[in-house]
Amino acid sequence: MTADTLALNNALVYDYLQRFVQEELHTNGFTEACVALSGGLDSAVVLKLAVDALGSDHVHAMFLPYSASSDESRRDARTVFEFCGIPWQELDISGMADAYLALQPGMDRLRTGNLLARLRMAVIFDQSKKEDALVVGTSNKSELLVGYSTWYGDMACAIMPLGDLYKTQVRSLAHHVGLPRQVIAKPPSADLWAGQTDEGEIGVSYETLDRILYLLVDQRCSSAEVAAEGFELDLVRRVEHKILASQFKRVSPPVAKLSQRTVGIDFLYPRDWRK
Amino acid sequence: MTYTVALAQVNPACGDLEANVKMHVSQAEDALEAGASLIVFPELSLTGYALKDQTLDIMRPVDCPEFARLRELSRHIAICAGFVEQGDDGIPYNSAFFMDAGEVRHVHRKMYLPTHGMFEELRFLGRGKQLSVFDTRFGRTGIVICRDLFHPLEVSTMAALGVELLLAPSAMPARGFGGEKLAIEQTVGLALGSASTFLGMFVVYVNRVGFDDGLGFYGGSALSDPIGGITVLAPRFEAVQVLGAVDVAHVARHRYQLPIRREEDLAIVRHALDTRRDS
Repeated sequence: MTADTLALNNALVYDYLQRFVQEELHTNGFTEACVALSGGLDSAVVLKLAVDALGSDHVHAMFLPYSASSDESRRDARTVFEFCGIPWQELDISGMADAYLALQPGMDRLRTGNLLARLRMAVIFDQSKKEDALVVGTSNKSELLVGYSTWYGDMACAIMPLGDLYKTQVRSLAHHVGLPRQVIAKPPSADLWAGQTDEGEIGVSYETLDRILYLLVDQRCSSAEVAAEGFELDLVRRVEHKILASQFKRVSPPVAKLSQRTVGIDFLYPRDWRK
Repeated sequence: MTYTVALAQVNPACGDLEANVKMHVSQAEDALEAGASLIVFPELSLTGYALKDQTLDIMRPVDCPEFARLRELSRHIAICAGFVEQGDDGIPYNSAFFMDAGEVRHVHRKMYLPTHGMFEELRFLGRGKQLSVFDTRFGRTGIVICRDLFHPLEVSTMAALGVELLLAPSAMPARGFGGEKLAIEQTVGLALGSASTFLGMFVVYVNRVGFDDGLGFYGGSALSDPIGGITVLAPRFEAVQVLGAVDVAHVARHRYQLPIRREEDLAIVRHALDTRRDS
């Protein structure tokens, strides 16, 4: 596999994604977008995209820190707000989170992380109601495929413009739109505890992960064929397992079919259904 | 004879027949004003593409009252547009009509309905079973809808039946963003080049723009001339109407210079097909 297999024509992609954001909002009767900003790369690209697509007056972004969030995240979030020309908005979710955490002593990191992601979801969806806006999601293809995201947490949104771009492709797009270097260069992190990084948790670099995913998913290779491209078979199998284990997050919950026409099975209308 | 063709690279509203008819009327009036004799719209231009169960509600016979205004307009400009046809058999088809002089001159039913990956056409629509070859004031004309264009046997057969003007209404989703051009643009370029270069046809390829449920249609409508190559190329992603000139003399001149059609011996093909019937 050549190194540039994942390379994209960023100008073409960015043009296309702006139009996607515009049309998905406008055909559904919206002019406003809400974005939850973390200080990380994906939400920074989404915010820039939304601003370029809709105009800064139509984008409502909010930084939603918890008391354990790093100062670096706040600093980078501020930089991104300034870069996009959006007024700073911050809502600290510590009070909401701690009220529940106090009732559930001994919660582990995973449960806590999921709780924080779902509280942020609750806040940004409420904000979207206030602003008559749609929530623009920040998930990328790498995390969607390995399930490194919280179901009904950070995955919850109205549209997902980066959902078909691997993390390394999002990074390349970030360079293209000129995001501040500090945001692009820092190690991706869910920022749930000090020193946490995605790559530490998933156990592989995004460069490697994305190439394995590309071969497994886009090229439909078997794990043996991927290994033959120079990846450790154990690692490839672990990635494959992550894809399988997270399938439930990528589909709507199954409905038990009883009638002639069942929502989710044979009541089939496009999302952009206009009558 | 030289005439002007309008390529209406539009973004239909999914499931809104009334709004789309209005848009067609306005596009046809613009084309008429610009001096066009023929206007070609994309696949399913009157209905939108990702209809799913809206198919049942939106299908119409071609002589339905909703299209009366377009039939009327066709007294002044020939119109090729896409719709969900309710056949006499009650089946919905992915069709394109050709109206001229106030009449429906032809209806083509898409023959090859992609049903794989992102496509699910056969889940909702019936399959057309006939090549569309018919005579118009523009010469012998054929219609292929989107995937039909990728079937060289059919396009070659249409050439063998004398088609000089191939209308190719399409709804091709963008994919393959790695290069200067989209991967799908290169594929379409091959089909257009092959029809014009080897079969000596004009091809009017009209692809839609806009998004239906995450599928983004890329536009890039083109007029492919047997002598001039791609003489008109509409931009990617933009809703736009572009005009092209068709000099019908180019067909005979090209076929004289590169006499592939003259060389063609259909008896060879017929014999091969007859003797390989078992395969």
